[in-house]
Amino acid sequence: MTRATAGMAPPHVVDSYLAEVTARLPGPARARASVVDELRAGLLDAIDAYRSAGLTADQAAQAAVSEFGDPRQVAGAFRPELAVSQARRVAVTLVATGPLIGLLWAVAATASHLGIRHAPPWQWAGAPPGSLVAFPLAAAALAVTVWTALLTVAATGHLTRWLAFRARLAPAAAAIAGFGAMTFDLIIFVLLASQLVAAPGTLAPAPVAVAAAASLIRLTLARRAGRRCLAARAALS
Amino acid sequence: MRPETLKGHLDGMLLAALEPGPRHGYAIMEVLRAGSGGQFDLPTGTVYPALHRLERAGLIQAAWSEAGGRRRRVYQLTPAGRRALDAERGTWRDFSAAVTALLEPAARPVTS
Repeated sequence: MTRATAGMAPPHVVDSYLAEVTARLPGPARARASVVDELRAGLLDAIDAYRSAGLTADQAAQAAVSEFGDPRQVAGAFRPELAVSQARRVAVTLVATGPLIGLLWAVAATASHLGIRHAPPWQWAGAPPGSLVAFPLAAAALAVTVWTALLTVAATGHLTRWLAFRARLAPAAAAIAGFGAMTFDLIIFVLLASQLVAAPGTLAPAPVAVAAAASLIRLTLARRAGRRCLAARAALS
Repeated sequence: MRPETLKGHLDGMLLAALEPGPRHGYAIMEVLRAGSGGQFDLPTGTVYPALHRLERAGLIQAAWSEAGGRRRRVYQLTPAGRRALDAERGTWRDFSAAVTALLEPAARPVTS
């Protein structure tokens, strides 16, 4: 039977069923496409089984679709899983790229001949005006980002077995991590602007431009990821 | 059987269906339906998210494979999944022995 249906286009009933499920799925297009591909293969297997049992092609397609269940119910069962894996991907990306951005800014600060020494940044010679306020704020944003991202990664992976994370909590934590990273980048940009006004000559153009570009990309993506996580979370209620 | 009754034990049953070897989603469903004498009647579409959850928890792993011109996601138990299945089995044996002793009058020893 597999040979008989494998070469044919999937029946119309299957396509419209999958379209109904897809329309109700949140999350990135690639994750949804993967879910739909898997469901399609399952539906075709079910059709084969019903054909073997003697049903006509149309009857088999109908039987397969009703065996799989109401599209709303199927999409509803996938929704928490998609929201959690989206949260995990956002958190993993933040954890993986964060140190690189930190390194780029460290290189930029060193190259810019700020009087870096073993003291709080606002005591460095030639530190940008406003450092006294901005550095503690940046440190707080960084701490929130790192801890919520690490917690999300831990609770949505293999630790799921021991650390029961409710489905709504993972996208919320990932969104906080995303907005935290965004806040950190914004504070750094404020500091950069303040130094550009106060003492533009001290800035090393190339390393600063590279770090700023990286931060700008991260800021944009982190903001978008945070909003998407919130949307996925809202779709769970 | 009521869906809620099944759902509480879905993870263990999915792991058990994969114990003999790797299977794709629909084959897992067929094992569960045949093995339960038709009692397992959850909508097939809702079993896939449960498989994804087990995969994320590291109890099973999945890979796309192609056979007969059809791409399927094939699941198999990981060592952690095997351990989880053993644990689930032990818990179930204790639980079912206790419930049987309480619910079946004939199985209760006569005390008076």
